[in-house]
Amino acid sequence: MTSRVKALPVEIFSAALAVALVLSALGLIRFRFRDQPSVSILQILPILGVFFVAIVIGEVFRVRLSGSRHSAPLATAAALAFAMTVESPMGTTATYKAPVVVAVTAAAMLIGLIPSLARGRPVHLSELANGLIGIALTSVLFRELPISEGRAIVDLQAGWPAYVLALVMVVVAGFSLTVEMLLLAMVRATRSHAPLLQTFQDEFRAGLGLSAALSATGALVALAERPLGILAVPLFLFPLGLTQFAVRRQIAIRQTYGQTIRTLSRLTEFGGYTQSGHASRVAELAIVMGQQLGMSEREVLDLEYAALLHDIGQVALIEPIPGGATVLAAPTDQRRIARDGAEIVRQTGVLENVAVILEAQTTPYRQVRELGEPLPMSSRIIKVCNAYDDIAGEFPTPARHTMAMERIHLGLGYEYDPHVVDALARVLEQRET
Amino acid sequence: MTDTATKGRPRLAGAPSSAVSVYIAAVVLSALALAVLGWRTHPLGTADIPALIVLSAMGILSESVRENDVGERTGLSFTSIVLLGSVALTGPLGASVVGAVAYLLGVTKDRAPVRVFNSAMTSAFGAIGGFVYFAAGGAANVSDIEGVGSLLLSIGLPMMAADIAQCLSNAVILSGIVRLTHGTPIRRFVMGMLGTSGPAYIGYGIIGFLFVILWVPAGVGPASALLIMAPLFVARWAFVQYGDEQRAHERTVSALAAAVETKDLYTRGHSERVALLCDLMAESLALSSQDADALRYAGLLHDIGKLAIPTRVLRKSGGVSEADLVSIASHAAQGVEMVRDIEFLQGSLEGILHHHERMDGRGYPDGLAGESIPLFARIIAVGDAFDSLTTSRFQRDAGTVEDALAELHRREGIQFDPTIVAALERGLDRHPWEPTQLEPNLIITVGRAFDHDNPKASDLMAGLGRDERRTRAEQGVSSLAVRVTARRGNSVRGNPAGGNPAGGNPAGGNPAGENPAGGNPAGGNPAGENPAGENAP
Repeated sequence: MTSRVKALPVEIFSAALAVALVLSALGLIRFRFRDQPSVSILQILPILGVFFVAIVIGEVFRVRLSGSRHSAPLATAAALAFAMTVESPMGTTATYKAPVVVAVTAAAMLIGLIPSLARGRPVHLSELANGLIGIALTSVLFRELPISEGRAIVDLQAGWPAYVLALVMVVVAGFSLTVEMLLLAMVRATRSHAPLLQTFQDEFRAGLGLSAALSATGALVALAERPLGILAVPLFLFPLGLTQFAVRRQIAIRQTYGQTIRTLSRLTEFGGYTQSGHASRVAELAIVMGQQLGMSEREVLDLEYAALLHDIGQVALIEPIPGGATVLAAPTDQRRIARDGAEIVRQTGVLENVAVILEAQTTPYRQVRELGEPLPMSSRIIKVCNAYDDIAGEFPTPARHTMAMERIHLGLGYEYDPHVVDALARVLEQRET
Repeated sequence: MTDTATKGRPRLAGAPSSAVSVYIAAVVLSALALAVLGWRTHPLGTADIPALIVLSAMGILSESVRENDVGERTGLSFTSIVLLGSVALTGPLGASVVGAVAYLLGVTKDRAPVRVFNSAMTSAFGAIGGFVYFAAGGAANVSDIEGVGSLLLSIGLPMMAADIAQCLSNAVILSGIVRLTHGTPIRRFVMGMLGTSGPAYIGYGIIGFLFVILWVPAGVGPASALLIMAPLFVARWAFVQYGDEQRAHERTVSALAAAVETKDLYTRGHSERVALLCDLMAESLALSSQDADALRYAGLLHDIGKLAIPTRVLRKSGGVSEADLVSIASHAAQGVEMVRDIEFLQGSLEGILHHHERMDGRGYPDGLAGESIPLFARIIAVGDAFDSLTTSRFQRDAGTVEDALAELHRREGIQFDPTIVAALERGLDRHPWEPTQLEPNLIITVGRAFDHDNPKASDLMAGLGRDERRTRAEQGVSSLAVRVTARRGNSVRGNPAGGNPAGGNPAGGNPAGENPAGGNPAGGNPAGENPAGENAP
């Protein structure tokens, strides 16, 4: 797939950046220790050890947030706190610099991968690399960047009230996490050929709550180290553990929901009304087109559900349509199926957006042009995808593909939105190569 | 986590009875007495006033943003954490003020008596927590304490003690009002509440301790509220979303189950009603809430397999052929095939598969008998038949509840499990049931379509189960295929039951007296999908 090939540069970029960070960190550490032998590694060893363990454990409990989004909240918060610690356990100033943070975090992240590797689970290297970049940025901003008189925040903070320091910590961590989201959005946008701005907005909306919790927890742990020492790390990660538990449950029910809709979309196949796999193929195609046409994640989800359920209205038919192909049915029948489907979906009381899309899925495009009727983009996409799949079928031979495209082109501008048809051609071409 | 402070909030219908009023007054008086006691023993210093104001504001805020219904009583009680923080920061009097103010001034839709009661109760157990904190050696001035060990010993431990005391007193005070309004025995209520919200209280204890540490020893002051609440707010948001999604999910499943009913008009609303009856029986049988959920879903989806049956068979007016019966009987197994991939329905599959088994072993699809029929299936069977009997049909009005129960009793041990019928009867005592009158138009449209849920239909279809089927096959009678396990591509179109009786017309097996050859509507019966008579489950 081309999408894979084109996605590589951004992924390679972030991975290379991460590796470069680690290497330069190691080099800098060597250089520093040779330079100032007074900084004893023993002094900071307990704090390094605690954060190392916390990050490893957090990585082991990485959670999947949605389709391709993963997060290790506990590890991220621990690493943020590590980067922003101002006092080490025994009341001495935490003397380590950014390179130590980067090296220890990288090592802990890699060790945290072992259980996933052992169990043969997929590993998300680009997300790890982005995470490391975020931590590196935090530690540089906090420990290295000269703010005034050539001194960094970590050296300036001694005179500040604690709540000012807390605010600064939250801002620094929040900024780094936002940069991380931007990097992730770039990877995703290139992968799905979607507009970057829309992808970033999705990323930001999806990650805002968790990022706020992470920044706050990072600051909490760092601040609590003053009175509690390293005990602060497990104790103050506890509220975030609760957050993670709640988020996991929410994700689980959302997945169950998706699974239910997918299974229910196959009801018409069981009933012998539609071709096997038709609904899921239409949905697959529609998702990619929706993304490339710049829809938001929420809209794409509605589009997916609508595409999956677009033939559900056929259950009310007494005699199945031959081959289940609505594109070949009489326009009045098509409209009735669409209306029945919308009616069924509307009864859920929670899928109103989907019902609206279903209702309009047979409306010809000319009604937009001639009568100025509003026609949801999702409905136009489903209409085109459905027509294609009805004719091309599961394994489109070149001949069937041409036939399907020809038939769609006959209705160009009249039945189908030319813009959407172009997107279909583009998506299919990307699939080819 | 369970939202303890709100969970048992009394639902006072109409004006509170005199006993309830007296109880509320008593709680208010005790709360006042405890506050006065707190004032005498641990008076507030002027330095405590700013903290008290901030904590009260937080209490009011957390009550105002509280979600009442977060599905499965899941939620986070910020108020409990704030209250615990005020115990260590401001002592018993402070905690009693914060508790009172939070419920009294919080922006909620609660009516006055509920507000007063909650406010007094929270104030009272706030103060109790304060006394216990000091009794357990808690430090009066948190800022005096230094060092990890002393922080844990003089603040952490006493706060946990206060936490436990608050949890207990909350449960006890609530149990009184619930006893008066709902008649629930005090002991049972307290034990139940400790079971569900005890673990949550341990969490509140830890978070309350962190809150205090951040406020004083770490020197962050009131701003620590924002920091500590951020992850909790996100957790709460996720809990709320979880509740919403769960409800959305349930509604979606039931609406799509209803979609099947557009095919078979007789069953309009039937799935929903059977699910409701299942709930009634689950209550009578004291099933766990998890089992009750699985049972409800099974009830909701028990007929989903009908989707695979040709509509013309379902809507056939007049007699049905044996082939039609076989086709109809396949819906149980078909239904399981359809929803097999949905993980959360794994507990419901047996109920769907066996809901037409009979106690005498002459049901379908497997001819199971007695206790070997899964419990859910026995329950659904009773609900299914009951709803059919109490729904109007072409030839008759809806039967009364009494007649339907009498019919079920007549069939105890033959078709139905007597304990389940008894459970239904108990359930109907508690929740009255209205027979369903279908719209006349609908009945005319449907005509005399075959109602497979009617117990008499069960007699007609008795013996369609596997064992008897095999016997018949051995006797040279036609193969009656009920289950189709292999499904490939679009070959399911046509008669999915796969029974092709055209070959050998069974002598006595044609109850409706119709030519069974015509009973195979689409004729597209893929060979090989139906090995004669041999249908492995």
